[in-house]
Amino acid sequence: MELQLEGIARDFWDGRELRRVLFPLNLSLTPGELTVLAGPSGSGKTTLLSIIGLVLRPSEGRILLDGREVTGLPDDAAATLRLSRFGFVFQQPLLIEGLTVRENLFLAVGIQGGRITAAIRGRAEELFTSLGLQGTGDMLPAMLSGGMKQRVSIARALIRNPAVILCDEPTSSLDAENGQVVMDILKRIAVEEGRLVVVVSHDARVFPYADRLVKLENGRVVADTRPLSEGAEAGA
Amino acid sequence: MRSRVALRLLLHDRSSTAGSLLGVVAIVFLVGQQLSILFGLLNYMSVLVDHSGADVWITSARLRNADAGDLISGRYLERVMGLPEVQWADPLLLANGLVRTADGSFEAVRLVGLRRPRLTGGPWALAAGEGEALLDLEAVAVDRLDLGKFGNPALQRVTEINGRRVRFGAVSSGARAFQGTLVFLSLDKVKEAAATPPGRYSAILVGLKPGVDRERALARLRALLPECGVFSTPELSRRTQLYYLTNTGIGGSFGFSTSIAVLIGVVIITLTMYASVLGRTRDFAVMRALGARRRDVAVVVLCQALMVGAVGIFLGFLCLAAILNATRGSDIPSYMPASVPPLLAGITLLVSLLGSLVALRKALQADPASVFH
Ligand SMILES: Nc1ncnc2c1ncn2[C@@H]1O[C@H](COP(=O)(O)OP(=O)(O)OP(=O)(O)O)[C@@H](O)[C@H]1O
Ligand SMILES: [Mg+2]
Repeated sequence: MELQLEGIARDFWDGRELRRVLFPLNLSLTPGELTVLAGPSGSGKTTLLSIIGLVLRPSEGRILLDGREVTGLPDDAAATLRLSRFGFVFQQPLLIEGLTVRENLFLAVGIQGGRITAAIRGRAEELFTSLGLQGTGDMLPAMLSGGMKQRVSIARALIRNPAVILCDEPTSSLDAENGQVVMDILKRIAVEEGRLVVVVSHDARVFPYADRLVKLENGRVVADTRPLSEGAEAGA
Repeated sequence: MRSRVALRLLLHDRSSTAGSLLGVVAIVFLVGQQLSILFGLLNYMSVLVDHSGADVWITSARLRNADAGDLISGRYLERVMGLPEVQWADPLLLANGLVRTADGSFEAVRLVGLRRPRLTGGPWALAAGEGEALLDLEAVAVDRLDLGKFGNPALQRVTEINGRRVRFGAVSSGARAFQGTLVFLSLDKVKEAAATPPGRYSAILVGLKPGVDRERALARLRALLPECGVFSTPELSRRTQLYYLTNTGIGGSFGFSTSIAVLIGVVIITLTMYASVLGRTRDFAVMRALGARRRDVAVVVLCQALMVGAVGIFLGFLCLAAILNATRGSDIPSYMPASVPPLLAGITLLVSLLGSLVALRKALQADPASVFH
């Protein structure tokens, strides 16, 4: 799935005035790549990711999904699109307490009332295996470690087989080792499974995984490189 | 999945769920218990009419309630008996009296004079003694729950009503009236004790032949006795209940207390459900980000309200049944018509939904973009 941003900008009302936190930018994202959105705090990374994920409307510009404009979609249609095409991984795992790990996954499928089919159940078990979560299906999130929770949240993002995975600082609440595990998984999802993966991070340990590194500063794209293919000179 | 989520959240947020349940139980229990007393009192108001066994009551004209009729002429008895629809007709004579009690004090009572030998309008259930006891001119029957007012007399004990000698001949059951203590005795004794004019009665009770068209019979009786009040038994019962309900403040006071009970319940449900949603704002935002539409969030919250409502109603009725059982046969009036529980359950469910509206509003405000911060 191709994702195109054309002239996307965003203003926020900060109480006194309308402040532009994202200046018109163009970005074209392609599947099979892990794109890292980097930049200092407050540079607009999360804002951009929220716009890409259709949870925040841009003040200007257009978003195209496979050439179809989705910018002004009504609320419900945007929600349905999120459910079917997007997977989200947040800074915190944000699993729902009270639901088991398995139910947390099923929630991401059945929240609009859809049935949990045998195929979905099978996929959940596959994800548990591939993410090293065997045996956790019936546990409550509170019983899991931070790293495991974040892996569950990745499983939740993947259960619907989404074309696009959007992650906001997925490693920042994890230690180095767990952070590496998570990035390995995301990289595999992008490259081997051919999905479009965007990871927002200001964690330098994430950059080596980037097929493409987009740097934001003060709401503008200041660099857009392919560090792996361009070699060492195009690094951080 | 949405109802499953609703259930899981309820089970997990135990304290707020318990609070909401308490609100629902409070409504069912308090309102149910108030209503049972109200219906018990309503039964008391029309007890004589309801248990008379008559199809039609003939009274003085412009009757406001079954207890406030002027005396009517006994000549109507023959006229009524002349109609082909009528199987039987009996007079009833109501009057006030003073009964001398065991310790020499007096108890004001409502005398119910019955014509022998049929004793129409007399006690319909006896706790002690024989029904035929009242065939004796001197015998009276009082209710078992009223015995204490007379100093718990033994059967056959002699006393006086308005200075006339009578005997406790039988003890009735379930014959308590809102208007005063009922004492059943022969019509002739009432005439004597209350010195009512001869040949005049408070009412004529009529039994229709089986298979007779009641409306037609009522119309014929009305045409025959234009100077009288002619009521079907249910009609007079309703009229009497309505009279006391609206003229004694009972209706208002019960209306007030049930409204307060509902209000308290709604406030409890509202607060606890709101608190629960408040603690789950982030979860609802996560659901929205994952693809829940507003209506899906609403389904979850309303499912919760319905589940709490259903379980609360069940628990409430358990409590209610327990207390109604415990007070059955006591002197606390209580009666629950079969149509009331389903109605109460339905209203409580609606009220639970109503109580969840503030929580729903909060849940719908959950902003999916907030999960990224
Ligand atoms: N809802 C909002 N209302 C007002 N201002 C906002 C809102 N969201 C973001 N901003 C502002 O937009 C700017 C960019 O925020 P954003 O969260 O996108 O930054 P970021 O690059 O993700 O930073 P960080 O690395 O700290 O997460 C900030 O100055 C922030 O104050
Ligand atoms: Mg951010």
